[in-house]
Amino acid sequence: MTKAFVIDVGRCCGCYNCQLACKDEYVDNDWTPYSKPQPDTGQFWMKLEENVCGTVPKVKMHYLPVLCNHCEDPACMRACQDNAIEKRDDGLVLIEPEKCTGCKDCMTACPYGVIYFNDELTLAQKCTGCAHLLDNGYKLPRCVEACPTDAITFGEEEELKDLIAGAVVLKPETGLRPNVYYRNIPGKFITGTVYDPVEREVIIGARCLLTSGGKLVETFTDTYGDFWFKDLAVGSYSVSVEAEGFKGKYFSALDTALDVNLGDIPLARK
Amino acid sequence: MDNEHSKERIDTEGDKQVIRGGGLMGGGDSGPPTLVDVKDGKITRIRPLSYEMEYDRKHFNVWKMEARGKTLEPPMRASVGPIGLAYKKRVYSKNRVRYPLKRVDWDPSGERNTHNRGKSKYVRISWDEAAELVASELKRVGTTYGPSAVFSQADMHGESKHLSPSHGCANRLLSLLGGYTVQMRNLDSWEGQHWGAKHVWGCEPVGEMMPAANLYPDIAENGELLLFWGCDPETTPHAIQGLFASRLCYWLTEIGLKSVYVCPDLNYGAAVHADKWIPILPNTDAALQLAIAHVWIMEGTYDKEYIATHSYGFEKFEDYVLGKEDGVPKTPEWASEKCGVPEWTIKALARDWANKVASLIHGNAGPAIRGPFSSEPARLEVMLLGMRGLGKPGVHQAKMIEWWFWREWNPIPYQGKIRPDLANFSEQVRPVDCHDPAQMIPPLYLGPHPEMRELTKLMDQPPLQVIPKCLVHDAILAPPISWWGLRSFHGPAEDQFNQYTYPAPGCSEIHMIWTDSPCWITCWNDSNTYIRALQEPSIECIVAQHPWLENDCLMADIILPVATRFEMLDIGNDLGSGVLTSLFLEEDCIDPVGESLCDFDVVAKIAEKLGLWHEYTHGKTMEEKQKLSFDASGMDQLISWEELKEKQYYVVPCSDEIKDQPPGLSEFANDPKKSPLTTPTGLLEYSSSALEKYFPDDPERPPVAHWIEKSESHDERLSSERTKEYPLLCMSNHPHWRMHAQGDDMTWNRECPTMKVKGPDGYLYEPVWVNTAEAASRGIAHGDIVKIYNERGIVLGGGYVTERLMPGVAYMDHGARWDPIIPGKLDRGGAINTITPHKITSKNATGMVVSGFLVEVEKVTDEEMAGWRRDYPEAFDRDYDLATGVSLSGWLKE
Repeated sequence: MTKAFVIDVGRCCGCYNCQLACKDEYVDNDWTPYSKPQPDTGQFWMKLEENVCGTVPKVKMHYLPVLCNHCEDPACMRACQDNAIEKRDDGLVLIEPEKCTGCKDCMTACPYGVIYFNDELTLAQKCTGCAHLLDNGYKLPRCVEACPTDAITFGEEEELKDLIAGAVVLKPETGLRPNVYYRNIPGKFITGTVYDPVEREVIIGARCLLTSGGKLVETFTDTYGDFWFKDLAVGSYSVSVEAEGFKGKYFSALDTALDVNLGDIPLARK
Repeated sequence: MDNEHSKERIDTEGDKQVIRGGGLMGGGDSGPPTLVDVKDGKITRIRPLSYEMEYDRKHFNVWKMEARGKTLEPPMRASVGPIGLAYKKRVYSKNRVRYPLKRVDWDPSGERNTHNRGKSKYVRISWDEAAELVASELKRVGTTYGPSAVFSQADMHGESKHLSPSHGCANRLLSLLGGYTVQMRNLDSWEGQHWGAKHVWGCEPVGEMMPAANLYPDIAENGELLLFWGCDPETTPHAIQGLFASRLCYWLTEIGLKSVYVCPDLNYGAAVHADKWIPILPNTDAALQLAIAHVWIMEGTYDKEYIATHSYGFEKFEDYVLGKEDGVPKTPEWASEKCGVPEWTIKALARDWANKVASLIHGNAGPAIRGPFSSEPARLEVMLLGMRGLGKPGVHQAKMIEWWFWREWNPIPYQGKIRPDLANFSEQVRPVDCHDPAQMIPPLYLGPHPEMRELTKLMDQPPLQVIPKCLVHDAILAPPISWWGLRSFHGPAEDQFNQYTYPAPGCSEIHMIWTDSPCWITCWNDSNTYIRALQEPSIECIVAQHPWLENDCLMADIILPVATRFEMLDIGNDLGSGVLTSLFLEEDCIDPVGESLCDFDVVAKIAEKLGLWHEYTHGKTMEEKQKLSFDASGMDQLISWEELKEKQYYVVPCSDEIKDQPPGLSEFANDPKKSPLTTPTGLLEYSSSALEKYFPDDPERPPVAHWIEKSESHDERLSSERTKEYPLLCMSNHPHWRMHAQGDDMTWNRECPTMKVKGPDGYLYEPVWVNTAEAASRGIAHGDIVKIYNERGIVLGGGYVTERLMPGVAYMDHGARWDPIIPGKLDRGGAINTITPHKITSKNATGMVVSGFLVEVEKVTDEEMAGWRRDYPEAFDRDYDLATGVSLSGWLKE
């Protein structure tokens, strides 16, 4: 039986409860043999990453809770020469503090940057999935329990399969097969507001066409004159904007490495 | 490791589990319950209480909101916020006051060196010496000047404690000494609503929409559009009631309501919930509101029938909007220049609002609260709601915070007919002239239970005189002063037409200050002037009692160490988290840190020196008071004391009757004659009949709400000459990471990127947000040390360069701890209120102005910083903990 985390980024309100509850559990608390105390500051076994996308006034945000992926094939475990890292039957990957010699090989090996170094104890440390609590009757790791919106789910992989379907893992190319899954991580967007500079009013219902490599997506401006093309892959796009009675506009070579706000777009009358 | 270790059964539980409230309201409501594990006398962990720990879910009869085929029910775990969750760091902070302290160069029998307050350090003294000093100063000041010379600052918000409240314990003792002068809290959460909106719709006691029953069920069923106007549901509520607002917002989106956020910043709510963000320049909402009215009037899209039957004076408002009064039509073009919203977006918003069933969402009143002339946008908002048929299905003003106020009028489905109100054993924000419960926030009122009345009877004696909190500096520096209203915290609208003076007839000026809410500097108006006032020789003694050495404590002569809520026995209640209403016993958790005592006992120490111990305490133990609080709560009808002792908490089952309460002002909407408002006409007053009578010629708050460009009180617009030097409008919000001044020292929270910005010198600065373009034009990079300043002083901060803020604006939360380089002039800690405007809301409206004012932001050069280090070495040499910030050790004389 393998434990898994499923994180719905679309329901993460960015409260940091997960990050703080994790610190509450591990800072100053000694859970040997599972973990030694975490330093008061500087380590984030559960870390919230902030993503601010777009420019004023078309700005969206999402938060990404990042923790040890408890990989099926943990690179850290392979790298450890002291046999200090083990994958438990329930899938959780733990660094045994009493065996770790502080060589940092695991930190170099982990492509996710989720292993921290405790200078005082000369020890690599990371998320344990709150194994010490699970082994003592707790149902949920602290980060999951503290989440006010149920954005983080934890349980048997088998029981979570409906949520896992359609979810993604971070850096799948590593091939390490993480057991932390993410849902609703937004892709890139292209947006703008279409208006009539003579009447000084937004144009509602303007037809906006997005093209990329022969593929076409159509949308129409809303009551605020806004159009949004969301969840785009990074790439090169072009957008045309047309409205009846107006001369259209065409934007090409839009690079979505960053989200694109085309701003307030005036359309001249024909 | 294989699972063999599970067999070792390491002790994860500890010695005991106790419940503590997770909120920081400071009275009335303890916040969502947390379960605290304690081991070897130390807190191991704090986590949300699972309501099902001792009860079956069936017991709760949980409320349901059902709309459009979907259902929202309360979660089975308390929705604790990030401050309540990480509170261990507050309890064990390096900033705790661990023993009584005396300012090193304050000598009551010699030189008092009042000019050194904020500069000189402290020495440890014994409890006996501290109590003796305070007692003898009280006697001396009382004998020399009379009892009114002692000034009590004892209002919200500190920790939520009941048996030994954070605020007002001193008032009990001062009453026994013949009275005192009380600091009357201005309506800081509702400034514009109290001084403005009340004159449109009455809606006592504070001017926000009342009644507020069943608003969210009605909005869910009938609403289409939510206008979060200056509202951040992910910020303002969480430190007092937790994070249920977050879940509610997700649900409202899920069932199809659209959320439009109108605010200068992509605030934390907008960041995750907004369908549309309309950035607006700070405190220019009145211009946008007038333009919306203009569109509706010109296009005939408002509810004319409703206005005909429900309003008074609409034609005067119409004349002003259309420009018949002053020759200036309040068109979208006119408004756009003032508020920074494109003309086409203003029209789009006006039409979207006209086409949809919409409610205004606040938490609290947003832009209506705390800018210059805040009465105006607060009134205009109500007028716009009126034009949409206020009180009709889905047309309301609703809050994302304080769902417990005003008894059964709960916008979330209310949880039962009886609710565990717990009286405080002190009174904090008490009226002066009366003891009318209707004028008190209900749960703060000392209930009718006979034994409780006996214990609190001495509070019946009113204070001798009042100083409004927003005028304390004026009262000290330039007495006599006079002002309108504020005879009680939230008195009726009529009180706004009474003028009061300080000193009151027969009363003295103040010469001694006793504060248990030492946060004036970081939360109130023009606190640099306040700092100078506290350095006056006329203020002979300042006593502060507080758990942490922060803010105004640094101006005190004697500091008394207070235990936190985790270090005392108490009883708690969660009235307002919106999840489930509960009562819980807060049993002994850990020993007091250092020599600290709970607030009640701090004052008892001094009472003892004055021979008033028994009169002050009535000899009751904490255990006896805990039981008495339970008896007086009315909860004994639902659960026995014995069962509560065994289970430690009780969840009040939801009542099905709640569905019958009419939502919001629906009865007024249905029949204004039968269910009139409390305005003089009983109608929505588009021209205030009371202002017509009392202040017909007030250019800052005329009978019809106006856009006020500038006036004798304030010159804080982008049109001002002052913008040559101060071209940015400063917005200062309710802090995301603090409950006002509370929680600034929590090391784990300080690591979060929006709480502090690490400067190149390693100091964690309070973020100053500036838009990318504004930063570029000033050569500011993210993480630079910046100064935000105007004529009133300089505050240092950490440059936070972002697209989450529109150009033309600087944003800095209030409540960061004051860390003076030059007290009264230059602050390193980020206490933005040191440079907020001095004048009140407007000349006849006694509120404070702490947002929407002009500043400039610049990068601090290495040379400038080196100059300050050279000229003020004592400020930079103070011991400073990189993680905690200002610490006790920095202010101790070696």
